[in-house]
Amino acid sequence: MLEFKTTGFNGYAVKYSPFFDNKIAVAASANFGLVGNGRLYILRLTPHGIQAEKWFDTQDSVYDTAWSEGHENQIVAGCGDGSVKLYDIALNEFPVQSYEEHNREVYAVHWNLVAKDTFASSSWDGTIKIWSPMRTASILTLPTHSCTYSTAFSPHSPSIISSVTSDSHLRVFDLRTPASARNHLVNLIPIHGQPPSSNNHGPFSPPSEALTHDWNKYRNTIIATAGVDQIIRTFDLRNPQGGPVALLRGHDYAVRRVAWSPHLSDVLISASYDMTCRVWTDGTAIGQNAHLGNTALGAGGRELGRMGHHTEFATGVDWCLFGSEGWCASTAWDERVLVWDVRSFMMG
Amino acid sequence: MAPANGRLSAVLGHLNSSASASSGRARLLEKNPDDIVITFAGRTALTKAKKGGLKDTNIDDLLIALLTEVRERSNLDPNLVEDVCLANVLSEAQGYMARSSVLAAGFPVTTAASVVNRFCSSGLLAVQQIANQIIAGSIDVGIAIGAESMSTNPDNGTSTPLSTKITEHPIGSQMTQPMGQTSENVAGQFSISREAQDAFAAKSYQKAEAAQKAGWFADEIIPITVQVKDPKTGKVETRVVDQDDGIRYGTTAESLGKIRAAFPQWKPSFTTGGNASQLTDGAAAILLMKRSRALELGQPIVGKFAGATVVGLEPRIMGIGPTYAIPKMLGKAGLDIKDVDVIEINEAFGSMGVYCVNKLGLDPAKVNPRGGAIAFGHPLGCTGARQVVTALSELRRRNERIAVTSMCVGLGMGMAGIFVSEH
Repeated sequence: MLEFKTTGFNGYAVKYSPFFDNKIAVAASANFGLVGNGRLYILRLTPHGIQAEKWFDTQDSVYDTAWSEGHENQIVAGCGDGSVKLYDIALNEFPVQSYEEHNREVYAVHWNLVAKDTFASSSWDGTIKIWSPMRTASILTLPTHSCTYSTAFSPHSPSIISSVTSDSHLRVFDLRTPASARNHLVNLIPIHGQPPSSNNHGPFSPPSEALTHDWNKYRNTIIATAGVDQIIRTFDLRNPQGGPVALLRGHDYAVRRVAWSPHLSDVLISASYDMTCRVWTDGTAIGQNAHLGNTALGAGGRELGRMGHHTEFATGVDWCLFGSEGWCASTAWDERVLVWDVRSFMMG
Repeated sequence: MAPANGRLSAVLGHLNSSASASSGRARLLEKNPDDIVITFAGRTALTKAKKGGLKDTNIDDLLIALLTEVRERSNLDPNLVEDVCLANVLSEAQGYMARSSVLAAGFPVTTAASVVNRFCSSGLLAVQQIANQIIAGSIDVGIAIGAESMSTNPDNGTSTPLSTKITEHPIGSQMTQPMGQTSENVAGQFSISREAQDAFAAKSYQKAEAAQKAGWFADEIIPITVQVKDPKTGKVETRVVDQDDGIRYGTTAESLGKIRAAFPQWKPSFTTGGNASQLTDGAAAILLMKRSRALELGQPIVGKFAGATVVGLEPRIMGIGPTYAIPKMLGKAGLDIKDVDVIEINEAFGSMGVYCVNKLGLDPAKVNPRGGAIAFGHPLGCTGARQVVTALSELRRRNERIAVTSMCVGLGMGMAGIFVSEH
């Protein structure tokens, strides 16, 4: 396990570069992101450990970051003052562009993985905005009317974007639909909802704030969500009213980040306020868990392992896209970035 | 932007998870303007049918007496009361009694009245009915009143001939089974021994005795003045009724064990006059409105109605209805049984009482802390409302918050409701 200290700054998000297997960006904020400066670190993995290649300081906290999918030196950051800043890591100190349209904290930024020419941000102001590095103003604003903790483009379509919000709903927007009063919204899925088949005597899930979600990298209709109620759920957009497919229980506090594996279609990783990062299967791996019956129902979803080395809220985690499957990076409020191999934390 | 406070509360919100075990409790204790609150709750004394202080009080006089007290004691302009829902099982011409008694009790001509009847759960159903009307915006202020005069309205079951489609229906035909038989069915099917039933019943008497001696019922009971006829001299006198009279002091499981079976015709014949609920007269009333309205009017908020639900089951074993109704209600509220401070389960019979406590794994200290229908009676239409009055009073006394009330219902049903004390 490799370690880097973000001294004086509490981690909020970590992202591997899609171009270089040794480059990691970390969004971090002073004073736990409550008040004060933010810092975007560009770290390099070297034979001598993790070294800071450079960093960019901001006036307000930095809560999330996303590498450009089209340009290896570009990266965006979502900031506490509502700004979205685009940096070129070949330059120093200042962003090449600062987009100032959101009225409140920007908690998520995400680059379009297919078209690669746009990126999105979501904010506590109840909107998602879509931007282009070529333009100075946003291209489109999608309202959610609710504090939007997380937004993500589909990895399978350039026009589909999703979000989860504090109102406990997963929204899916299709930008190809005509502009109308629905604002491109095609699916509004209650995350706390039960499968229609379950009787009302079952366990009751009250609505609770959803903090994070991610698209499966192999199955283009599967999204994982998680948040304050500690449960990671998967949904299948082919049956949006069908309720969650898999429920993964185990975290003891709210889940701040989930990320599907770039290598395995059934595996995801999570970071939680309970200070752990956990690896899960949703039980759909072909040929595995066959003894559990219908694996399509996700009945075999379970925790595979956990990493408990963080000593404060774990807030960010990301998989390495390169090399052998299993390497990931995590960050936490303990002012540390850890790079580790999940295979050394598997149970049993 | 001065964001630090907002950010801090956001993070705190993430940590104060509403999904942890007690979260439903936290949510239940929240105070929102559109909560349905209780600003007045009280009951008459419960007295033995045919013998007690209310034996010569017809249902209308009983209603008038209690509604008059509610009108006077609630300090609420009676013009604001838009509807009164009467819970009553046995009285004939209930609709006439309800409306005319409301008027005679001094409510204006604009105060409407209706009747609900789901047997032993009627009192709770009336609360739910008024609450639903308020939630739906049909009315702003209403009274739920449960009342039964078992002295003057005997329980004759159904007198109309039944359709053969019912009598030949495998489950529908079970409706002809008297309640005593269903009690024996529960005892037989679930092996509830005579000793366990007697012990349960004795505990009810002992708790009620302690409560009465400690004066706890004074917080529930509104004394009413009624006419009573002396059975020997035939002289009619005016009397203030303010004490439950069914509580036999010094009752023990041993003394109850000597009583002979009430239903020798049905096995295992464990039910007796001592371990079953008593025939009783009485009434209870609950005044409901939205919290916002109560604050506007300066009404004292004594509690909150937090929902009710109903289930159905085989009429043959109707007594175990609470074992379905309570979990269903808790599930809807996101509550764990451990979150509940007081549980009022109507003691129709010792058999179902024992079964429900065991099946649900209830803490005996929380169940009917002031005794129940075995000790002081079960006026059918009144009971559901009476339990609310008792539960709120007991929560106040213990300085606790959440009560679940539940009862089995004849013909195979169970109902449960959740109430929060805001003393």
